[in-house]
Amino acid sequence: MKTFKGGIHPPEEKQLVKDNPIVDFPLSSRYHVLVQQHLGAPAKPVVKAGDEVKKGQVLSEPLGFVSVPVHAPTSGRVKEIGRIVHPVTGLLAPCIVIDADGRDEWADGLPLDRDPFAMSREELLDAIKTAGVVGMGGATFPTHVKLSPPKDKTIDTFIVNGAECEPYLSSDHRLMLEQPGRVLKGAGVIMKALGLDRATIAIEANKPDAIKLMREKAPAEIQVEALKVKYPQGAEKQLINALTGREVPSGGLPMDVGAVVQNAGTCAAVWDACARGIPLIERITSVTGRGIVQPKNIRVRVGTLLREVIDFCGGLNGAAKIIFGGPMMGIAQFTQDIAIMKGTSGVLVLREEDTNITAYSACISCGRCVEACPMGLIPSTLSKLGEKGMYQKAMENSLLDCVECGSCTYVCPANRPIVHFVKHLKALSRAAGAKK
Amino acid sequence: MISSILLLGGIGFLAALILGISAVTFAVKMDPREKAVLDQLPGANCGACGFAGCAAFAHEITVNPEAEMACPAVNEEALEAMSGILGRSLGGSAPLIACIRCKGAPAETTNRYGYVGPKDCRAAQIVAGGSKGCQYGCLGLGTCEEVCPFGAIIMGEDGLPRVIESLCTGCGKCVGACPRGIIQLIPRTGNYSVGCISKDTAKEMKPLCKVGCIKCGICADVCPFDAITVSKTTSAEIDQDKCQRCGLCVSACPTGVISALRAPQKARVITEKCKGCSICEQVCPAEAISGKVKEPYFVNEGKCIGCGLCIEKCPSDAIERIIS
Repeated sequence: MKTFKGGIHPPEEKQLVKDNPIVDFPLSSRYHVLVQQHLGAPAKPVVKAGDEVKKGQVLSEPLGFVSVPVHAPTSGRVKEIGRIVHPVTGLLAPCIVIDADGRDEWADGLPLDRDPFAMSREELLDAIKTAGVVGMGGATFPTHVKLSPPKDKTIDTFIVNGAECEPYLSSDHRLMLEQPGRVLKGAGVIMKALGLDRATIAIEANKPDAIKLMREKAPAEIQVEALKVKYPQGAEKQLINALTGREVPSGGLPMDVGAVVQNAGTCAAVWDACARGIPLIERITSVTGRGIVQPKNIRVRVGTLLREVIDFCGGLNGAAKIIFGGPMMGIAQFTQDIAIMKGTSGVLVLREEDTNITAYSACISCGRCVEACPMGLIPSTLSKLGEKGMYQKAMENSLLDCVECGSCTYVCPANRPIVHFVKHLKALSRAAGAKK
Repeated sequence: MISSILLLGGIGFLAALILGISAVTFAVKMDPREKAVLDQLPGANCGACGFAGCAAFAHEITVNPEAEMACPAVNEEALEAMSGILGRSLGGSAPLIACIRCKGAPAETTNRYGYVGPKDCRAAQIVAGGSKGCQYGCLGLGTCEEVCPFGAIIMGEDGLPRVIESLCTGCGKCVGACPRGIIQLIPRTGNYSVGCISKDTAKEMKPLCKVGCIKCGICADVCPFDAITVSKTTSAEIDQDKCQRCGLCVSACPTGVISALRAPQKARVITEKCKGCSICEQVCPAEAISGKVKEPYFVNEGKCIGCGLCIEKCPSDAIERIIS
């Protein structure tokens, strides 16, 4: 079975939620839609307090190419342009607060009924951007940018990422099982936008039901590949390496080796955007972990408060840590008053016994992190440089190639927060770069 | 026995000869002034001058007659000595000192979450923007103490850093290291500091910190010299040039966020010189001076705000500044 070099085998823990069908999260009375839900240039709110909005209406305008709008998750009235803690930065960030009117009415003309395969490449990209589609695996990079490679780059490979290698999470798994059509048709639209006539869907072997179903449903030009269960199998560069043998050069992007990778959830969102004009206002999220009473896979609107999501899933049960995303790369939260975003692939609630909040000690140079690193770096060296804040030296040790997957931190017997050191070094080098 | 002594002695002599010759032949020619200048520099290699270290800067300032004194850490004595060595005047800027602009010790503030990780404020800052409730306050992990090349910052028992005035050279290393920009360089002659840079309003701050600047503006109102500015979203700022060290702001501040860096100044009448003209009594804005005409006047220290107006106006130079 295909895979990459390095990586780790954390307990999968998917049994908690993988067999739970997706349930619709009921309409809330109030939504907090963060203005900045994507990586890239900011967006600017275009509504003001008191405005009536309809479901799917544009709430913010992108400022720049690498930027996307956000849309109203339901119909109602804008209460205010307020501030709420941003799940990624942890700081207060602008959000559009919408009081729902309960009618949940679509904006004029939505949803559309059009044939994306009759649309031109430019029309498709425009539809994807207008719908605010971003990478839904968690990185939230605007999808239309990834589908617009520069002229000098030839794209010959398109991979649909259904690996879902993060432990606990099953949102892509459920999506592929329950709505294979959306994923496959979305993949077809992306193939058209990229001018390709074939694609590969990559799924980790721990989802045999999804692999089987996809093989049944997929058209001839879309090939389904089962991948070895290993973390981080779903990381872009590792996925490309496993499937094509190509290695993305240091400092490069997948497009440098002619590849584009899109998450399965993103494909579904692309289909909605192109075929029906529906913007990205809801997503499938796994609410899981032993700290939550009823783990569920929910279809939830962007802007729903975490507090409501937790209540919907039966409340907390001895929770010690709440994470947006998976246990390996997710971001721990300190409050329940935060909103679900486009990139929230999971809400993970860990109990004390599932976490490891203890002090770290000195590096014993055992080399386990070196074996685990899927990027072929030497994490032990980076961590030692991190302790001293020596970012220039770390840059010489390929600091910027680290994808922060957390494999090194997972295997470290000295419990060293290696990814934290790497993030620290990257922040230092950014700050030094900004000063110049 | 003898032969071994001679042999070893001979080898030693030969080696000494080779070393001696090469020391003369291959000597690196160095301007003797450069060595003298280097001796005057602090030797901390802090990099604040923009050069790779004290030696690199000493070389630059010796060989380049245009080079200016870029070391913020030299004292006046050393500056004078260097000017003498190089035979030209090295203009130095007014000496600065680091000033910690946060009084929010852990006992006075709240936390959003418990932080576990590297003991470095910059590393703590990237975890959801720092654990402290106030996003402007000191994280207290001692990165400033760590980076100070002069050992001039120590973390106090209350969890906040302290600047040791006698050791601080104003190099600014700590300023660059603090992820929250709490440390500022102020003139060494600065009188007061406001221990808060929060932009939060009083309402926003209340649940986060008991000792921050609540932007009430009382300090700006009581200041007789217009040296303090404060707005709803900016903490009080003291213009150290305008400040006359009267100390009214310190006693008026309801949260005690303004601290005196040195004791307030007062005026004192030199009894032998005073002719009893009463001008001082008339100009005093604080009604602190009283007396009888043609007899020596006296200053009520409790009322005196140290503004110095009387000193300026006294025709017989009979009033002096004292440190209270």
